[in-house]
Amino acid sequence: MDPAYRQALHDGEKLGLRYALQIPQVAASGWTGSRSGRHAGSSIDFQDYREYQPGDDLRFIDWGIYARTDRLTVKLYREEVTPHLDLILDGSCSMNLEDTAKASGAAQLAALLATAAANAQCTQSVWLAGEGFQRLPNDALMPSAWDRLEWTSKRTPEQAFEILPPKFRRLGVRVLVSDLLWPGEPLQLLRRLRDGAAALFVIQLLARDDATPPEHGNLRVVDSETGTENEIYIDASMARQYTDNLAQLQQSWADACRQCGAQMTTLIAEDLGTSLGELEAIQLLTPA
Amino acid sequence: MIPFLTYPLALMALAAVPALTAIYLLRNRFRRRQVSSLVLWQFQVQSKAGGAKINRLQLPLLFFLELAALILLVVAATGPQWKLPQSARPLIVVLDDSFSMRAVQDQVSAQTRARDFLENLFHHQPPPATRLILAGREPRSLGVTAKSWREVDELLRQWQCRAPSAAIDAAMTLASEVGKQQANLLVLTDHPPADGKITSQRLEWHAFGRPLDNFAIVNASRTAFGEQDRCLLEVANFSSGARATRLAVQTGSNAAQSQAILLGAHESQRLVFNLPAAAPALRATLDADALTEDNGIELLPPIRKRVRVLVAVANENASALANRALDATGLRATISENPELIVHETDSAAGSNAWSLAWSTIAATNAYTGPFIMDTSHPLAAGMALEGVVWAAAAATNPPGAVPVIFAGNTPLLSAREDAMGRRHLTLNLNPEISTLQNTPDWPILFWNILSWRISEMPGLKESNARLGAEVVLKTTGEAVTVMQPNGEKRFFPKTGGELALETPQPGIYSVVAGATTNQFSVNVLAADKSDLSACATGQWGKWSEDTEHRLVEASVGWIFGLLALALLTAHLYLVATAKGGS
Repeated sequence: MDPAYRQALHDGEKLGLRYALQIPQVAASGWTGSRSGRHAGSSIDFQDYREYQPGDDLRFIDWGIYARTDRLTVKLYREEVTPHLDLILDGSCSMNLEDTAKASGAAQLAALLATAAANAQCTQSVWLAGEGFQRLPNDALMPSAWDRLEWTSKRTPEQAFEILPPKFRRLGVRVLVSDLLWPGEPLQLLRRLRDGAAALFVIQLLARDDATPPEHGNLRVVDSETGTENEIYIDASMARQYTDNLAQLQQSWADACRQCGAQMTTLIAEDLGTSLGELEAIQLLTPA
Repeated sequence: MIPFLTYPLALMALAAVPALTAIYLLRNRFRRRQVSSLVLWQFQVQSKAGGAKINRLQLPLLFFLELAALILLVVAATGPQWKLPQSARPLIVVLDDSFSMRAVQDQVSAQTRARDFLENLFHHQPPPATRLILAGREPRSLGVTAKSWREVDELLRQWQCRAPSAAIDAAMTLASEVGKQQANLLVLTDHPPADGKITSQRLEWHAFGRPLDNFAIVNASRTAFGEQDRCLLEVANFSSGARATRLAVQTGSNAAQSQAILLGAHESQRLVFNLPAAAPALRATLDADALTEDNGIELLPPIRKRVRVLVAVANENASALANRALDATGLRATISENPELIVHETDSAAGSNAWSLAWSTIAATNAYTGPFIMDTSHPLAAGMALEGVVWAAAAATNPPGAVPVIFAGNTPLLSAREDAMGRRHLTLNLNPEISTLQNTPDWPILFWNILSWRISEMPGLKESNARLGAEVVLKTTGEAVTVMQPNGEKRFFPKTGGELALETPQPGIYSVVAGATTNQFSVNVLAADKSDLSACATGQWGKWSEDTEHRLVEASVGWIFGLLALALLTAHLYLVATAKGGS
């Protein structure tokens, strides 16, 4: 793995120590673990006594009270669960745009989220969407132990779904980190990601070059994934069109997110350290 | 006469005219730049000229087109104004989708009154665009933006009012996001706002409910109780005074048995009775009243899954202890062929489907009185207390791969592991000769837990009766599943994982076909909050501010000049693309 990415993972891990993943109430169910869930369950945290009702579990009858009072009383305990984070990284070449900090930013952001998840006592899986959805080796460990983090695919996450769909955990929190720069209808992908999730967050990570209009003059633009070239003369109206196109693309994603109940935000890779408030604003992170 | 000299922007745009000439003179060669995707560049004009090292002028026609476009843009920059009719604000309607909206008085429901109000609003003050949001258990946006009453009426067919609760606050939050603080919000429901007042200038809250008297079945369950089924029905009177109703209970085609129920205001009564396990579906109904939905329930027989257990322990005493505890759980099947659980003395796999409980009864050297360390979140430890228990066990270490459930010090007393085929292998380290565990309630609880865990991994439904809106879990072995809803609508799941959570959007009987087996479950309307109509009211809270009225305002017509400039640029593009501009 590129040493720069390794360093970015270290940096993200350090940055993530300040945050904890915010667990939505719906996600407070699932595998047994160490967080309080939303139902009565079987932890050692005593919650309440209640009179026995037909259908109650006989195992939770307090036989001591029965012996003393001749009344059947049931002990209620708080449920404990382990919420889960499924982190989906767009593994396409566009995430590794030359002369930008996009790839390092993505690695740093992924490490930050994984560390914040660990702070919130969540388990985690990190998926790289390239030639299908593949889990990163060692993704359950701390980010600095991850391996094979690379952006070399020429497929979009949508195409990756068709090749090898991921096996997400039910009622987990899912976070998609991508530049979202591909043509097509975002709704279908979002629905598939949202299916069975407690919450879905979409983080659009752009390089500053992606987000700002191009400089005026003649440009030969080269698509980082297909290698297609276009020669274009850029003037103010073209630059405005570029900004409009970006805004339109972001709006279509935002609309699709709203329809699916997902939260979306946009971050600039070069300004990552100063824009983490956005992740708090969409209620993905909270100060630890 | 356009006083463009007073507009700095226009002056600056005029300065672009010599700049345009300069651009033609000083064209640069193409600079290479890698971009993430060409998707943002697909509408750009692709230049067919340039790229050469020679700087040269484009054809004069193109130049004049650009010049004309510039002048039009200069005019646009002066901000020309015209009196144009400004349309009213868009409207977002939040519709209470809970079933209490179906409560009727004089044959008219709150839902009908709300719909009539909306139609009236459209006839008198039609908004330019309308979006509808259903406030059920979760808010749901109803499709696209509607422009006319006909389109709204089409969307209103999805407003069924069948949800067990109404998330109006969440729906309003969604509406605010969708409307970007610019749209008017209209809430149509049957109850007043929580704090009785509306402060927002963009929100109107209209309630169409009536505080009607209502009886409801608010609780119903049917659970296995030995060889019988135990049923619980709870009837509540949500009326302002004491009232009577009749409860009719019927199983299968038997004659209905009815009894009178007299309850004071806001009192409830529970009825608990037993049925033979073979009794078919139980239907209970109350006399008709304002709200029909909560007057009837249907309870299917509970799912009785049994585990085929084979006890193959040589020690007769231990074998008798295990058999007695297993029989006491009521979860053991009468036959033991093709066992699903084998209790034996060695930890060896048997059969493709069988779990094993390896009970090591070898002479123990240590008797532990506690403290016992238990993983209380583990299904095997649920409900176990181990108070005052003496547990004799051989000193041992935890076998590799096994998850300890109960410890005494560092000695594992009960542990479990899973093999590659998904079977569980449990290890019980207990010598009953000098233990007291088998004389405490924990002993049958332990065997109940083992069988219950085994049952939870068997394919099929986990329950046969559910509340409206709850998820019903179906365990599958990966086959295709078809679910037929009470209204006849079919949902097909071609591939399923180990577990499928089925939604229950409407009450009634659901059929689930998984492979060759068909199961049914019943969904009943049991929501006391919504059956209680006493807090319902009619009225209006909040009013949209005056600036939402229809009026004529001075509006910028700069866009017209912009459009003309765009037309010129389109012509420019055409000329460039077809090379008619001459190159």
